[in-house]
Amino acid sequence: MFIFIVFPLVGAGIMPLLGKLSKKKWPDILSAMVLLILLVCSVVIFSPSLKEPWQYIQNVHFLNEPVHINLALDSFNGLFLILISFISFTISLFSIDYMEIYGSKQIYYALLLVIVAALNGLVLSKDLFGIYIFLESAAIASFGLVAFSLEAEALEGAYKYLLLSVIASGFILLGIVLLFAITGSLSLDGVKKVMEIVNNKSVITLCSILFIVGFGLKTALVPFHSWMPDAYTKAPATFPAISSGLIIKITGIYVLARIFFNMFQINAGVSSALLFLGMFSIIVGTFLALGQKDIKRMLAYSSISQVGYIIAGFGVGTALGVIAAIFQLFNHSIFKSLLFLNAGSLEKSTGTQSLDEMGGLEKKMPVTATTNAVGLLSTAGVPPLNGFWSKLLIIMALLQAKLYIYAIIAIFMSVLTLWYFLIVHRQAFFGKLNEKWSSVREAPFWMSLSMIILALACFVIGIAFYIVLKRFIIPASVPLAGFIMK
Amino acid sequence: MTIFILILLIIFSILAVFLRDLLKAALSLAAASICLTIIFFLLHAFYAGVFEISVVAGLIIVLFVTTISLTRSETPVKESLMAYFFFPIFFILIIGVDLMIYKRFSMGIPSVTGTIFHGNFGDVFWGKRSFDLIGQVCIIFAGVFSVLTLFRRKNE
Repeated sequence: MFIFIVFPLVGAGIMPLLGKLSKKKWPDILSAMVLLILLVCSVVIFSPSLKEPWQYIQNVHFLNEPVHINLALDSFNGLFLILISFISFTISLFSIDYMEIYGSKQIYYALLLVIVAALNGLVLSKDLFGIYIFLESAAIASFGLVAFSLEAEALEGAYKYLLLSVIASGFILLGIVLLFAITGSLSLDGVKKVMEIVNNKSVITLCSILFIVGFGLKTALVPFHSWMPDAYTKAPATFPAISSGLIIKITGIYVLARIFFNMFQINAGVSSALLFLGMFSIIVGTFLALGQKDIKRMLAYSSISQVGYIIAGFGVGTALGVIAAIFQLFNHSIFKSLLFLNAGSLEKSTGTQSLDEMGGLEKKMPVTATTNAVGLLSTAGVPPLNGFWSKLLIIMALLQAKLYIYAIIAIFMSVLTLWYFLIVHRQAFFGKLNEKWSSVREAPFWMSLSMIILALACFVIGIAFYIVLKRFIIPASVPLAGFIMK
Repeated sequence: MTIFILILLIIFSILAVFLRDLLKAALSLAAASICLTIIFFLLHAFYAGVFEISVVAGLIIVLFVTTISLTRSETPVKESLMAYFFFPIFFILIIGVDLMIYKRFSMGIPSVTGTIFHGNFGDVFWGKRSFDLIGQVCIIFAGVFSVLTLFRRKNE
């Protein structure tokens, strides 16, 4: 398991040296190879039988001496290891052609690999301070990626991202400090054991609030969402793809799930707060996405809305709710990464992100148009694509919990999502071709390949949803099941 | 001594909010962070002190300062006066919450030295918390590559 942290870190370390040899070729190869190896390893080590939280502990040894590094694996974080490797691998493929316009690929790939190492470190850690350090690493490396174009707006977005990230870290750190002061432990299961004995409800409530605000900022839940549209708009399209696909999921939702299902027992108060924040994000994100003319900004608001579904699923707190939330998280990582890569493809070919300037690009960019259609239909929850099944499960979980109003809102917002995505698709790809796009060409090979892989994933998971649910999603929900609300 | 540094910490923190020059504000934040580090060391929280000075006073401030130096514009931008109204309110609010937390929890909080982290810094760092070293390497890499991003020539 140690390979998941060390391998990308070593790759990042030697990336600038390889960049000296060949700025174009070697960084591409190294990054893709590292991530492909991690993808294979993550699939190999995933085991549905690791049902207890952090069931398998690896004590790292060096020259037969223990180095006091303990990594924990269960079926829940095993799924996340697959997700991290898969999404980052496709983004790495996309970057081969896409990042040509930005230059300094070796630095870009180094930042990408640091993010992967940090996310892997975070999911394999069962220690609150370990989680905090890897969370900060991911935030700092993300700052570099947001600012990568060095345009004024990108720097402004990066600055805003860093400031709000620091505020989020402040809340999280205060929560960790309080727990450490009370329990004398930093490990999630250690805190759990002491809290079961102490049962200090005031501390649990206060820490819950601090963690919800801190991780809510990381996840860009409404009303903590303001950094996301600014950070995504002028960053290279691969950043929103990895951020929306992985970073906000792992630094926000994954840790919240671990805290509220493995450390504290999710109670009615936390459940209501998560449900409310989730539904609020769905509504606000959907309506804010409606009026956007910038494709990346629109996708950012859509991301806020879709993340709301995941939080609402966890907020329901039942077994079905948790399974639905994990499935929606898994699917959203794939289709939202795809949509941001589609936006990057459009941006690279046309030089604009404005939907008003696009139109009739379907014949010029058939691969981008087709994969974009798959991504948007999946996001909106159209059968038989993967997004349909996860949204259906969330709505079923809301109905099962007798939260009828929330279920109706979720259905209505899903229809609205379909509506604004169809408008976007029509504006970009259908209608009369603007004359200035007559010389536009389809995205190059590697960009097209990565989009096709993600679109195929949406399709295959949608068709084989039962197998995916049975083999991956349900086993991944089991380590959280011990604390699911009765 | 601790009280004196604590007052300095509050002064530098307030300056970080109120100074109009962003560069000076970032430097005030750095000074505040250094005060906090000294307090950590005075309270024998060496572990926290090392992280505070390396991560916050070091990396984060470098990122702030380089971003500010790159975004400085010749045209003056009218600043919002919201901070002047809202800061005192939030300041009083946070002090109030802080006091409430202290009053509510101070009796129940065991001494940190009585916990599993008892021991000198080296023992704790190498013996119990060596995983954090990997995290530190990760943070240093992230910081270095982010700074390299900011200092590189466009489309190099």
